[in-house]
Amino acid sequence: MILWGTFDKNEIVILLMLVIFYSIFFLLPKKFCRDITALFFLWGLTIGIFFDFTIGGGLIDYYKLNDSNEYGLNDMLYYLSFAPFSYFFIYFYELLQINAKTFIWYVVGWSLLGVGLQWVFTLVDIVNFKNGYKLLYSLPVFMLSQTITGLYYQFIRSKRKVMCSDEKQQT
Amino acid sequence: MGFAVFFFLAWLVTAFLIVMQKSLSLVENTFIISLILIISINWSWIIYEGLKFIKITEQPMDYTAFLFFRSVIIPIILVIQLNMVLQSESFAQTILIPIVSIGILVALTALSSYFHMTNYVKWNIGYDVLYFAGLHVIAYLSCWLFRKIAYREGGYL
Repeated sequence: MILWGTFDKNEIVILLMLVIFYSIFFLLPKKFCRDITALFFLWGLTIGIFFDFTIGGGLIDYYKLNDSNEYGLNDMLYYLSFAPFSYFFIYFYELLQINAKTFIWYVVGWSLLGVGLQWVFTLVDIVNFKNGYKLLYSLPVFMLSQTITGLYYQFIRSKRKVMCSDEKQQT
Repeated sequence: MGFAVFFFLAWLVTAFLIVMQKSLSLVENTFIISLILIISINWSWIIYEGLKFIKITEQPMDYTAFLFFRSVIIPIILVIQLNMVLQSESFAQTILIPIVSIGILVALTALSSYFHMTNYVKWNIGYDVLYFAGLHVIAYLSCWLFRKIAYREGGYL
């Protein structure tokens, strides 16, 4: 395991992304109960790691992350940027009051954003495709993971209270 | 052969988790599975691919079986035993459940060697026992910590 190959644009962009994404998280008004917030932070991290280590490495090695195939600290920091994204996904899901009809467009929008971000990552050498992998192949990955995230969130919301802000205001 | 066996085992443990009586909530179960999945993937990557202490097969079907073990079976078994421990009625049960769980995981590791999915290079089964025992400790601690942080009075993050 290494820290990074050379500290250049990909490392700078990753650090910048982390600062921006986590600042947005802390600046946004808090809506959710602690366990829901913690769960969806971990959920984003898990999905990122799961897909990257399943199709991005090992026998199905479709992309190289950062400077080398060796697992580095910069790779780990890159995965940490996934964590706030699943939180933002459910945050705006509530803010925009997404329902059964608008869910389709919500997932399409987030998936296109995901592909767009990944395109930027290829420009700054965070992600380097290989073995015939194309940028648009990530679209089904984003659509699948975001559809599951939305449905899972909807399922939890049908079972219990997810937002504790009202409770806090009352006490 | 390895693929069929490990797919069946992955299906079996998942089905068992779904139907079993759970002492953890849906959110807690998902949190623990996610955490163990992250550790399992990172561990196998560092030990197998990075340090090359264990060689993984290059046969696609056997490799897929290895993925089922790493990404499905290990996290699900960990969360099943945690649910069982939390509803155990005696101290003996509390001790016995993780021992059986570690035993099953070690047996499955031996099975993955038998099917040539993995091959020890600079490794032995004793290290696997320690790793699985460590995973159990992490599962208990993370559950305790999650409950402590998440359900602190009046709180939302």
